Amino acid sequence: MEETVMESDSVDISGSGSGPGVAEAWETVTAALVSPGCPVTEQGLSDSLALLCDQGLGRLLGSWLLETLQMRLSSSVVPEFWSGLKQPENELEERDRAWILLTAFRTLLDRLEPFLCGLERLGTWQDEGRGGLCGPGPRGLQERAFTIIRALLLFSPSPVLQERVLEFYSRTFSVYMNQEGEAEDGAEAPEGPEGAVCPGCGVLTQQCWCQEALEQLQELSHILSKLQLLEWVSSEAVTSILHKLIEQRMEQHCRGEYECSFLLEFQEWLELVLGWLSKVFASEADSGGPVPAPGAPGVQAGSSVLKQWRCHMHQFFCRIYVNMRIEELFSIIRDFPESKAAIEDLKFCLERTNQRQQLLTSLKSAFESRLLHPGVHTSDILTVYISAIKALRELDPSMVILQVACQPIRKYLRTREDTVRQIVAGLTGDAEGCTDLASELSRGDPVTLEMQDSDEEGNDPEDWTPDPTDAVPDKMGSKRRSSDIISLLVSIYGSKDIFIDEYRAVLADRLLHQLNYNTAREIRNVELLKLRFGESHMHYCEVMLKDMADSRRINSNIREEESRLSEEEQPPLSLSAIILSSEFWPPLKEEKLELPPLICQAMEAYTHRYEKLKAMRTLSWKPHLGSVTLDVELEDRTLTNLTVTPIHAAIILHFQEKSSWTLDELSVKLGAPKELVHRKLALWQQHGVLREEAGGRYYVVETGSSKEKMERGVMLIDSDEERDSNTTTQSEQREEKLQLFWAYIQAMLTNLDSMTLDRIHSMLRMFVATGPVVTEMDCQRAGGLPAEEGQGASADGLSRRLQTPQIQLMEQEEEEEEEEEEAAECVRRCVHVLWGTSASGAAFIITELQMKSEEPPPTCRPGLYFDTSTSL
Amino acid sequence: MKVKIRQWNGVASWLWVANDENCGICRMPFNGCCPDCKVPGDDCPLVWGQCSHCFHMHCILKWLNSQQVQQQCPMCRQEWKFKE
Repeated sequence: MEETVMESDSVDISGSGSGPGVAEAWETVTAALVSPGCPVTEQGLSDSLALLCDQGLGRLLGSWLLETLQMRLSSSVVPEFWSGLKQPENELEERDRAWILLTAFRTLLDRLEPFLCGLERLGTWQDEGRGGLCGPGPRGLQERAFTIIRALLLFSPSPVLQERVLEFYSRTFSVYMNQEGEAEDGAEAPEGPEGAVCPGCGVLTQQCWCQEALEQLQELSHILSKLQLLEWVSSEAVTSILHKLIEQRMEQHCRGEYECSFLLEFQEWLELVLGWLSKVFASEADSGGPVPAPGAPGVQAGSSVLKQWRCHMHQFFCRIYVNMRIEELFSIIRDFPESKAAIEDLKFCLERTNQRQQLLTSLKSAFESRLLHPGVHTSDILTVYISAIKALRELDPSMVILQVACQPIRKYLRTREDTVRQIVAGLTGDAEGCTDLASELSRGDPVTLEMQDSDEEGNDPEDWTPDPTDAVPDKMGSKRRSSDIISLLVSIYGSKDIFIDEYRAVLADRLLHQLNYNTAREIRNVELLKLRFGESHMHYCEVMLKDMADSRRINSNIREEESRLSEEEQPPLSLSAIILSSEFWPPLKEEKLELPPLICQAMEAYTHRYEKLKAMRTLSWKPHLGSVTLDVELEDRTLTNLTVTPIHAAIILHFQEKSSWTLDELSVKLGAPKELVHRKLALWQQHGVLREEAGGRYYVVETGSSKEKMERGVMLIDSDEERDSNTTTQSEQREEKLQLFWAYIQAMLTNLDSMTLDRIHSMLRMFVATGPVVTEMDCQRAGGLPAEEGQGASADGLSRRLQTPQIQLMEQEEEEEEEEEEAAECVRRCVHVLWGTSASGAAFIITELQMKSEEPPPTCRPGLYFDTSTSL
Repeated sequence: MKVKIRQWNGVASWLWVANDENCGICRMPFNGCCPDCKVPGDDCPLVWGQCSHCFHMHCILKWLNSQQVQQQCPMCRQEWKFKE
């Protein structure tokens, strides 16, 4: 074949009329190029070259050689390669397949080698300008040759090649890793006499071909790099192997493990893998092969390929790791202080991949599906939220992730009624299992809530860093984005007054339930809270604590006075009192209760002594509050040291005079409602002191077996009322306030016809500013945003006008623009709040609505708000 | 049955024995304290004049100090004299 090509060429050339000398010279030169072995003297070669160049044929040499290569490739070499690769159909050992792969490439190299050498030679001649030759030189020529080879060889590659290469590389990889002392699964090869399997090559140890495989790998890499096919043939296989392995390893080692960092370990492992890669790719670098790749920069090329791979692997590792951790982020957050290592790893990797958005979306939906549903207790939500704050501020110091991802939690917590109580309980260390807040509170260097309101600029403008792109554009600059747990929790409601009020209620409860006057812990809490909320807000609490101290002093004073009395003047019972400054305590529950005369006398005596002590002041007793310690002596048993509420004591004292009472009689005697008395009687029934008989009469059980008592104890579980709060609940208080606002709003609207929301808000602020109790109104907060957004919002018609005579309620339009969403939310909240949070609060408004319009009453209030388009 | 009370811890709130709810000067409740004070009761006492009007002590003192000519009760314009 070669002969014919050359012949036809030479005939062609000779046909151009240059004489026989030229044909001969052409023969000589081409023979020297394609078959280096043939005996041509340097002199003869030079002469022939000169002759050819004279005839202007020198520049054709290169094209001729490439043309020949191309013809040869397409007619014989490529088909031979592919059939060689496929030839032995199936049913082969892996080892044989590797061998065939290698052989195929070997033959390929053998076939092409003469051309490559010829090209090189020609290139050298060109470089030397021998006989006046000129051209692109060996590099250029070879480059073109390789392009041709690649194009023809890989024009329609059979999948067999990839399969074989993949298999071969996987094998050599495991062999290599095995030799480097890192068995893939760490399992030792079974040491059976026959069944021993080499962990590297996966066959019986006797037939181990590990070494062979490595040698084959080296040779294959040589051949491929020599043909410059390495990248084209191997990349895909190597990539998929690495990806598979990284994923596999990650699944095995990291999933579910949050407590240690895997970065270093993986780094080491990746280095090991790189060792293998260097065997695959860098063969030209450590070229022990016969002909080093032409051109000096072989070494650099090799290492730069490796560098690329290292980069790629690292990137890939990060991406896989981030993917996995994003999936697990909820659990990581839940376990936070223990999972710190995982968070740090994730932070490192997240900085290198562009997956913040993915993380946010996934975390948000994880929160929504796993946390924010009715089945989760509020305190658990808070615990997770606190962990999330801690974890996410590690993950993203700019707090943007925290802010965005936790938005749903905050929104949801706002809808839970007991959120505030839980947070306050957490702060005071009352909540079981949730000590984070208490310790957070006592942490040094607290961020005062006041501070964040100030407009203080950052210290150094050079330190300024822009927000990440996914930050929520809001008025709050990045510097105001707080990471302080307590301020974040407190800001759920947008107002700290709610918390302070709630804390006041909790404090009042605790103080009133206390038997001694020991307030050390409360004082500490109040001091800590003062650091957070500022002195002025905690003022009321301070007065409450001072009342406790004063009460103790007054009590001991009065005791002392009593002790100076003569024997018969000694008071019949020892009475002590907690004396409150009524203006500073939260509103206490008002209950009617007539105490037995004995107690009343004691109280009167106490009041007298107090009046003597403090001129012009007197006491007003709250008979239902307090606690009583008493012994009940029955015929066959004595209950000692029972601590009960005054109403319990009053009941049992009445039974002292008369051993049977009906509910009605007791109720009249005590001046308390029947249901209440009935409930309270249960305690004594539980203790087996009283029993109820037909007709609603209660009797004292003077003699009773302990067995019966046990049964009753099991039967009547009446513990819920024991922790009854003494203060009126938040919602009751709020409702009262809302009634007040409603009166204002109604008056304003009747007089002024129509008003914008922010105007109502500012009017309310002006009128209803009497002390912290009232200014904390929800309305202010709800109206806050539209008021600040100003004209923009109202221009959009968002702050709808409210018109009392024709209040109309319509469905919330869904297609709000994005920035309007917030404002709309506020309007909705405002309406919601104004219309009362409980059914009774809204009752009279609803009635009014029914009278004024045909619209149905607002049964689904949260989704409704005023519309004005109709009234405008 | 016999019930023996060992200890009765009652709760009471104190209040001034005054003929009005709020101080005529600062309009704050007597049972609270004047605007300058933090703590009610002993620290912010009431005083009575012979005209039987009473005020937070701090309030009336401030008022009296601001009067150049003669000292009158702000409510009834009689000469102010502290009740003994």
